[in-house]
Amino acid sequence: MSAAETVHTIIDDLGALLLFTMILIVIASQISRAIYAVAAQSLFIAIAGGVLAMFTGNVDLWVIAGVTLAVKAIMLPWVLHWVVRRMNVRREVEPVIPDAATIVLAVAVVVMSFDLSTSLGTVRQAITGNALPVGIALTVLGVLVMATRKTALTQMVGLFASENGIFFTAMAVTQGMPLIIEIGVSLDVILAALVMTILVLRVRSTVDADIADLDRLRG
Amino acid sequence: MAACYGAGALSSLLARWSGRLALSVGHLAALAGALAGLSVSLGVLVGDPGHPLIQPLPLLFPFARLALSVDGLSAYFLLVISLVAIAAAIYGPAYLRAHSPEARPAQQAAQALALNGFLGCMAFLCCAGDALTFLICWEGMTLASYVLIVSDDRDGENVRAGLLYMVMTHGGTALLLVAFLALTERAEAFDFAALRAAAGDLDGTTRSTLFFLALGGFATKAGVVPLHVWLPRAHPAAPSHISALMSGVMLKVAIYGMLRFAFDLLAPVDAPLPSSWGWMVLFVGTTSAVLGVLYALQQHDLKRLLAFHSVENIGIILIGVGLAMILWRREGAGGALATVALTAALLHTVNHAAFKGLLFLGAGSVLCRTHICNIEELGGLARRMPWTAGLFLLGAVAISALPPLNGFVSEWLTFQALLGGAILFHSPAGLGIVFSAAMLALTGGLAAACFAKAFGVTFLGRPRTPEAEHATEAPPSMIASMIWLGAVCVALGVAPGYAMGLLDAPTAKLLQGPGATAVVTAKGPLVLSAALTPSGTDATAISMTVVAVLLSALTAMAWVLSRGLQRAARLAPTWTCGMSPTSRFDYTATAFAKPLRLIFAALYRPRREVTRETAGTPYVIRRIHYAGEVVDLAETEIYHRVERGISALSQAIRARSTGHIHGYIGFVLGALFVALLLFGAG
Amino acid sequence: MTGGRPLGLVLLEMTLLVLLGPLVTGTIQKLKARLQCRQGAGVLQPYRDLAKLLRKSTVQADTASGFFRSIPVLVLAATIAAGALVPVVRAGPPAFPLGDALMLLGLLALARFLAAVGALDAGGAFGGMGASREMTVAPLVEPVLMMVVFSTAAAAGTTELGTLAAHRGTSWILAWRAADLLGFAAMLVLLPAETGRIPVDNPDTHLELTMLHEGMLLEHSGPGLGCMVLASHTRQIVTLGFVAALFFPVGLADGASAIGLLLGAGAFAAKVLALATYLGLVESSYGKLRFFRLPQYLAIGFVCALAALALRIL
Repeated sequence: MSAAETVHTIIDDLGALLLFTMILIVIASQISRAIYAVAAQSLFIAIAGGVLAMFTGNVDLWVIAGVTLAVKAIMLPWVLHWVVRRMNVRREVEPVIPDAATIVLAVAVVVMSFDLSTSLGTVRQAITGNALPVGIALTVLGVLVMATRKTALTQMVGLFASENGIFFTAMAVTQGMPLIIEIGVSLDVILAALVMTILVLRVRSTVDADIADLDRLRG
Repeated sequence: MAACYGAGALSSLLARWSGRLALSVGHLAALAGALAGLSVSLGVLVGDPGHPLIQPLPLLFPFARLALSVDGLSAYFLLVISLVAIAAAIYGPAYLRAHSPEARPAQQAAQALALNGFLGCMAFLCCAGDALTFLICWEGMTLASYVLIVSDDRDGENVRAGLLYMVMTHGGTALLLVAFLALTERAEAFDFAALRAAAGDLDGTTRSTLFFLALGGFATKAGVVPLHVWLPRAHPAAPSHISALMSGVMLKVAIYGMLRFAFDLLAPVDAPLPSSWGWMVLFVGTTSAVLGVLYALQQHDLKRLLAFHSVENIGIILIGVGLAMILWRREGAGGALATVALTAALLHTVNHAAFKGLLFLGAGSVLCRTHICNIEELGGLARRMPWTAGLFLLGAVAISALPPLNGFVSEWLTFQALLGGAILFHSPAGLGIVFSAAMLALTGGLAAACFAKAFGVTFLGRPRTPEAEHATEAPPSMIASMIWLGAVCVALGVAPGYAMGLLDAPTAKLLQGPGATAVVTAKGPLVLSAALTPSGTDATAISMTVVAVLLSALTAMAWVLSRGLQRAARLAPTWTCGMSPTSRFDYTATAFAKPLRLIFAALYRPRREVTRETAGTPYVIRRIHYAGEVVDLAETEIYHRVERGISALSQAIRARSTGHIHGYIGFVLGALFVALLLFGAG
Repeated sequence: MTGGRPLGLVLLEMTLLVLLGPLVTGTIQKLKARLQCRQGAGVLQPYRDLAKLLRKSTVQADTASGFFRSIPVLVLAATIAAGALVPVVRAGPPAFPLGDALMLLGLLALARFLAAVGALDAGGAFGGMGASREMTVAPLVEPVLMMVVFSTAAAAGTTELGTLAAHRGTSWILAWRAADLLGFAAMLVLLPAETGRIPVDNPDTHLELTMLHEGMLLEHSGPGLGCMVLASHTRQIVTLGFVAALFFPVGLADGASAIGLLLGAGAFAAKVLALATYLGLVESSYGKLRFFRLPQYLAIGFVCALAALALRIL
């Protein structure tokens, strides 16, 4: 097989593994499992970035891969685990709509993203194959997780997963984003995580309630 | 054939003074008619004259010439009718004598008359060569079955069931009438050939409208969700052999109508069918299959359970039909796949007729010996009615699509067709087909669960009521009819290749392509094969015969092994934690179905109420009263709303009735004005 | 892809599966024991248990009907017949058409149905509960299995297991596409459900609330129980062989050479050992799921299988 085909296959397989971790996040019943899944997901994204970097020789991709690995696969999950232990939070992930409805929505999202990417056919590059639909699915499923879970920590996990999806889509379509944008997005993510951590801990300690219960602030 | 059914009807009229004679003669005539029908159909199917047998009928109407035309499809459905009719005719007299010994002679004569009328109308319906014969026989069939449903009226329940049945089928017939009349108006003749020619130059929208009208009409008769609400009331109300006929055969006649319309009358010449038709039928079929079996799981009346399973099996047949419609005349492997799909649907037709007939007849023997229909009050019947139990088990294994019986064969063919369709479509349509296949697998599993419950609670364990304890075996004629249907099940399961020859004529003629034999038994009569890729060399092949032989050999070996090694068995009471075992310890049917009830609670909306009667302290319970209910979603959401809407509307209109006669006459005048304006302009 | 497997080979493979089934169970038990820091019984213990059972006499409930005596024999026959359909040492369809993946699933379903019916015969609550739960899990597993079979069969254009294996290629271990990864993930989720192990069912317990499959065996005794136990061993190895044929046909012989067949047998042993290790590890790491959480657990498999199909078809 030529190099392009090998890379194609590897990106395809990584896409499948990413979908698998995303499914685990959607169906996870404990927060720590969801955090492990999103860490594994970020690891796979880093590997994908590395493979693409090796093939295209784009140095930016190396940096992206490294940053993703360091920040999203190691640092942020560690922070989230620390918050979980600190907050002594109930381990269960509480859904807003029944589980069966979440699963049906997830299935619909997967089918729609595949359908969408076939209609965007001209945008697909020869190297990436399945990556575009997987990326779209990941992004939308991350938003689904954010919308259907009560605890703020799980919403954070959903945000990270969505983030991963956007990265994967960008890598698939453009073979790497300009480094500035990459650094900017990573900084945004770190900032969001910090703010969320502080807010959650503070709210917990003063009001002894969770974010989902705060709904009195209405117009 | 006509002579036999006519003689049967007349003779039952003549024999009104003696109920027994009327029954026997009537049923004997029905048997003769069925045998005649069987020979005619086999003659057409095996002989394959190439063009349909045309038989003009006497001139009853001045404006139309009635004729019968028996082509491959008609002959096949005639075969299905005859098979079950033979069993029902043998079963009938003994059952009616045992079940309602106090019936009046007039009532028995009416039953015999209606039976002959019913069978005759169905047979002629399948052989109809023009629209008028079709519609006359359709009406006759409905009326005859209505008489049979309300013939055995213990309480007002049966009459209500019959009324609902009449209302719904007439609604469907109205739709059919519109479709037929639109075509006949265009063709200015009634016979099918003229209709076919007239439909040839219809534009797409009209064609589709007509098809959906006809689909609606036939779907009401076939009991497709959401038009199925009459089925679970009407089928249990009729005597058991009539339920077997209705469930096994009448529903199939509606399928015949659908096939005739879709592939023969309304099909565009040399072009594939509009895709919306096939997808609609596939969708409706899948929904019926899943919902039918889900509702069947929660029923505890044996005949209602079987009626819901008919809904499920009609859904399975429609999956095959829909797939055939989608795949017909597509380029690539589509042609052969359409044949496989249609073969699967037609084979499931005859399979369902056989095993559903067997199951209803078995339920009838239980009913006539114990007079109880609720399975929660039965139990332990296998020791007292061994033949009925064995044959019911055979039917249960067949309907759960387990090898080596016939249910598995038709479901295998359906799966192969679905897989082929999924390979062909590289789009979300393919995913839809795969989803349909997954739902089909779900219904197979659920059907097995339901029949494990039904068979286990009814026939196994300890008897729960004195009637169950004192039941005796059913009369020999009933057993004989059940053995006939059981033999058909086994034969179709173990050697289906030979039955493919019978399916050749319908599939080849209807689809104008390769016949069933060429596609499905390409490797010899003992092997079923289905080629999914155009090359055909990698065709999946299974052999039911070899598997059956293997199973029997292994059973024999295992039996010898276990017998040779063991000593005599010792009998002991079942361990019930130290208390003396009574029938209260047996698992109930409600409990058996409870996990599924909770898992699918969104569809069932179960309600339950538990009240405890205590004595003194709350820890000493005297009695617990449990009431549970499962809701038929189609009924509550659609029908009750429509009903409430109609009542509200009628109330509103009633409030406006002034009671003055001038108001009413003025109303009539206004309506006349409007009618004149509308039709004058047209 | 050379000519088919001769009938003798098919029967030999079937016998091999029956004989090796208890060994696989013994291996899993030993692995679990070692993970629990104890010695555990030997790997050959299931054989000794079977021999003991065959020597004992039968005690039967007095309410059971005539069916009860024949149920264990029928269940065993159906399971062994399913074993004949799995390609063990050699790829390619059998010389005379036998059955395909759907027939295999159908035969296993027949075995399960008969066991459930037999369980209701003795007239106690244990059998009824076990049968009810087993027949609830079965319909939830079948759609997912069907989708996995479809996703692999869609590539090969056939559902016959030997041909599927041959089509995938017996030499290249990474002859996988992305869809197969997800399909294999779905199968890994389903394996404990099909073989009756934690987290779906606990095969080591006899408390009525934690049993699914064991509940149905409770009223059998003597050689009848021996047949049912052998049937559950055989069912386990048939399921493992099924997964191996669908996803890892590596090492299966192409021709009829003796070396090839021996290599095929060795490869099969290795694959089964790997899957058995997976089962043992899962059993030791997780607890049994509450029964009404099972649909959620199986939903993971469902979504994975659906994604695999989406990747395959679209």
